[in-house]
Amino acid sequence: MPDLSTGVVVIGGGSTGAGVLRDLAMRGIDAVLVEKGDLASGTTGRSHGLLHSGGRYCVNDLQAAIECVEEGRILRKIARTTIEDTGGYFVSVTDEDREWEPRFVEGCRQAGITCERISVEEARRREPALSRHVRTAFWLPEDGHLDPFFLVLANTESARRRGARVMTYTEVVGFSRAGDRVTGVRLRDVMSGAETAIACQAVINATGAWSGLVARLLGVEVRVVPVKGVMVVLSHRLAHAAINRCHKPGDGDIVVPALSVAILGTTSAKVPHPEVLPIEWDEVRRMIEEGALMLDGVTTARAMRAYAGVRPLYDLGAEAEGREMSRNFAVIDHEVRDGVKGLTSIVGGKVTTYRLMAERVVDLVARRLGVGNPCTTADVPISDHDDSLDQLRHRPAQLGVPKPHSGEHPLEPLLCECEMVRPRDAAPWFADPAVRTLEDVRRRTRAGMGPCQAAICSYRLAARLVTDRGLDGSQATRAMADFLETRWRGVRHVFWGSQLRQAQVGTGLQMELFNLDRQLAIDGDRPETREPRLPSRRPVPAEARG
Amino acid sequence: MKTDLAVVGGGLAALTAARAIQRSDREVVLVWPGLSSLYFLYATIDVLGYADAGAAEPVDDPGAAVAGLIKDQPSHPYARAGRPALEGGTKMLLEWLREAGLVWEGTLARNVLLPTATGTPKPSCLVPASMAAGDLRRADPIVLCGFHGYQDFAPELAAANLRRSWRTGNQVSAIRIAAPGFDADRLFTSIDLARSFEDRGFRAEVANRMRRQISGDGVRVGLPAVLGLTRAEEVYADFETALGYPVFEIPTVPPSVAALRLFDRLRKHLQETGVELFWNAPAHAATVTEGRCTRILLKSAGREQPIEARAYVLALEDWVDGALRAGVHLVRDPFFGRVIAEHAVPSQRTAESIFGVQPYAQLGYPVTDRLQPADETGRPLADNVFVAGGAIAGYDPSGTKSRGGMAIATGYRAAMEAMAAA
Repeated sequence: MPDLSTGVVVIGGGSTGAGVLRDLAMRGIDAVLVEKGDLASGTTGRSHGLLHSGGRYCVNDLQAAIECVEEGRILRKIARTTIEDTGGYFVSVTDEDREWEPRFVEGCRQAGITCERISVEEARRREPALSRHVRTAFWLPEDGHLDPFFLVLANTESARRRGARVMTYTEVVGFSRAGDRVTGVRLRDVMSGAETAIACQAVINATGAWSGLVARLLGVEVRVVPVKGVMVVLSHRLAHAAINRCHKPGDGDIVVPALSVAILGTTSAKVPHPEVLPIEWDEVRRMIEEGALMLDGVTTARAMRAYAGVRPLYDLGAEAEGREMSRNFAVIDHEVRDGVKGLTSIVGGKVTTYRLMAERVVDLVARRLGVGNPCTTADVPISDHDDSLDQLRHRPAQLGVPKPHSGEHPLEPLLCECEMVRPRDAAPWFADPAVRTLEDVRRRTRAGMGPCQAAICSYRLAARLVTDRGLDGSQATRAMADFLETRWRGVRHVFWGSQLRQAQVGTGLQMELFNLDRQLAIDGDRPETREPRLPSRRPVPAEARG
Repeated sequence: MKTDLAVVGGGLAALTAARAIQRSDREVVLVWPGLSSLYFLYATIDVLGYADAGAAEPVDDPGAAVAGLIKDQPSHPYARAGRPALEGGTKMLLEWLREAGLVWEGTLARNVLLPTATGTPKPSCLVPASMAAGDLRRADPIVLCGFHGYQDFAPELAAANLRRSWRTGNQVSAIRIAAPGFDADRLFTSIDLARSFEDRGFRAEVANRMRRQISGDGVRVGLPAVLGLTRAEEVYADFETALGYPVFEIPTVPPSVAALRLFDRLRKHLQETGVELFWNAPAHAATVTEGRCTRILLKSAGREQPIEARAYVLALEDWVDGALRAGVHLVRDPFFGRVIAEHAVPSQRTAESIFGVQPYAQLGYPVTDRLQPADETGRPLADNVFVAGGAIAGYDPSGTKSRGGMAIATGYRAAMEAMAAA
């Protein structure tokens, strides 16, 4: 017997799944989103956050570029608060880059991308950090920074207000079928192990790089190639705008200013499984070397951490029927292609075009369900509600600037000084059952993302797990240790200079002030025998290790 | 600038060395790099908390345990410094703390077991008297008290852990009060609370509010270490009387009042008693001529200044103080520019787990039996330079909880050697 019944189950809590959920909800279709980790904990949250103007794709992938242009303009209308309009430069530094320029200019023209050639002197006046290697500069005002965490949250919150449900840390372990029709999903809570079932009329597989693994549960093939990308986070922005190499897209050719930091990206390497994402030193080194060709200060700036994400590149070669397809993403209608009724996959694509992907797949599913309501996601702002997410962009102002000689606007307490997170920014999330780990709190608030990498705020957050969540001491300490471990996994790949000194302060506080290593030992918890807690740490099947 | 002896450093090793030299009536200049490890890494002085980084049981008698370690591991920095240096340095430090107006207790023969802010028992050797009543080898019930809106001590978390990990006793409760005059929705730090505690009326009101929530006989009360900043001894005694229960402090993350008291008081006492101190002056670049160091350079107020001494103690505590410099592949020392270690991949410097034994923490100068920095053949880099503290290779103070003892022993021994060489 199912525990719950709904119209559509959306599998996957990245930008696509969140966009699909909102689109369904706005068309009045009852829906539940299930995600085996946290929202935005897979590809979306590990992207570099560039809102593509399309310049990157305009030569090799014109259709994708056109979609970026259109979607970028739509997102600026509907997701205002998740975007920073940084604009971007495309710069040439080599002869080869110079040869790319005419094609780039023509591509921009064809795709309708606003692109202005400016003198190097003018570019350097605006961006003093541009390196001496820069020989040509193009200004593309429609590049931007898209905050992937807030984009997903804004979508799911909007959907929730319309009655949709979101289940995190809930993995699909199987499907129920009646003949050739999928009638429901079987789920397992990855932390408690509890199993549930949902009956539904349709399932949308929006799991990106995991699409093939999910489809396989129904004996259906979806050829998605997981491609790893490594990124390096620098402790400050270096440039006001996004800086792109004007050449055939390659490794390490983007520097994105993301709120208080700069992100160098990225590499590209096929991996055997979307959760096998080792960070290799050569990748980190290449990010820094390539970034330094475009911007001064990349090599001397403080690298705070490295991280790896996975792209869901869709293998188009083998797919020729049963889908409505654009160049860079595809809707797979498994009813037509495989004779499995009620299952649709949406694969490929990128964060910038998530909304369009959602629209296309929901068009198909709504038609099958006999729902005629049109898509309205391109017109209705996501934060169409008095929503605290709107305020996140303006946090420093909100904190109040202390004025001498006046009692007005005294500073509020801070939970995380590095990222200026107040206790009340985090408090609602401690009450949200979808939030299970301190990493989840981090994604929603940015606590722990600054230079000290949670050295100070981890204690304060753990304390709140006891006071606000009613966890016992060992659970809270365990959560604190897990949080610090997750941060450490990124820090140790850039272990030099100031970040090394910072790391010693952090480990000194944890080991020498708190004696936290012994607290874990008291609780029978040694690093080498530690049970994996997060989905990303779950054992990867042996055949996938390659 | 010319001097008899120069000590470079910002932690306990440097202070110990400077004091030892001063006490012998020799001229000493202390070059302080600014950001100090004392401020980040000290609240108590831990001599040896665990026999090794993996040991579960705390050491009961650190003096005897260090003696055993010296016997078993002749190249360990404790063995290089020698037991007399640990004993002499500890005796000197305790006397100095008293003279400087800080009341501390402890002996090398015994560790106390104090609860940390996570509620974890931690073995320490020398501790401020204001922390001593927290000793977990006594069974008296404990009430932990925090303040509304103050995030750096969470009595609920500490109590929840302590209930599990405390073996001798089992009665732990957690309370919170509103600190008089503090709004829980407004930012305040440990230092704000500590300053307020210097006011008698504030103390009395805090005691009143706490007493209303405390019940039971033989109870002791644990608080974050915010009982006064500059007049902490007086504040502590008065507050304990006002409350009517034994009180103990628990150190907090920076800004750590416990660390500030130690740091400020010892530094000021050195200055008041005539030691010249270069504040916020990172030193680097030693000039070595014919086997002797003739000068080091320090950066002060935007210019470089040479310090010429007859002997030097390099007591930069650790990475925090800039004892070593890590490039992407090479780790160098700042004085001789020697390559201390080379790593093809930077992550080799770390353990996979943040709680593992960290290779980077073990890096430092190889030293001679007299604590001179040495080359790879064991020959001193300069006859009149001596190293103390975390810049010595081969130990990880975090896993064994031994930072303070090692600083005292090596600082004291290095000072003795420097005076003999000058």
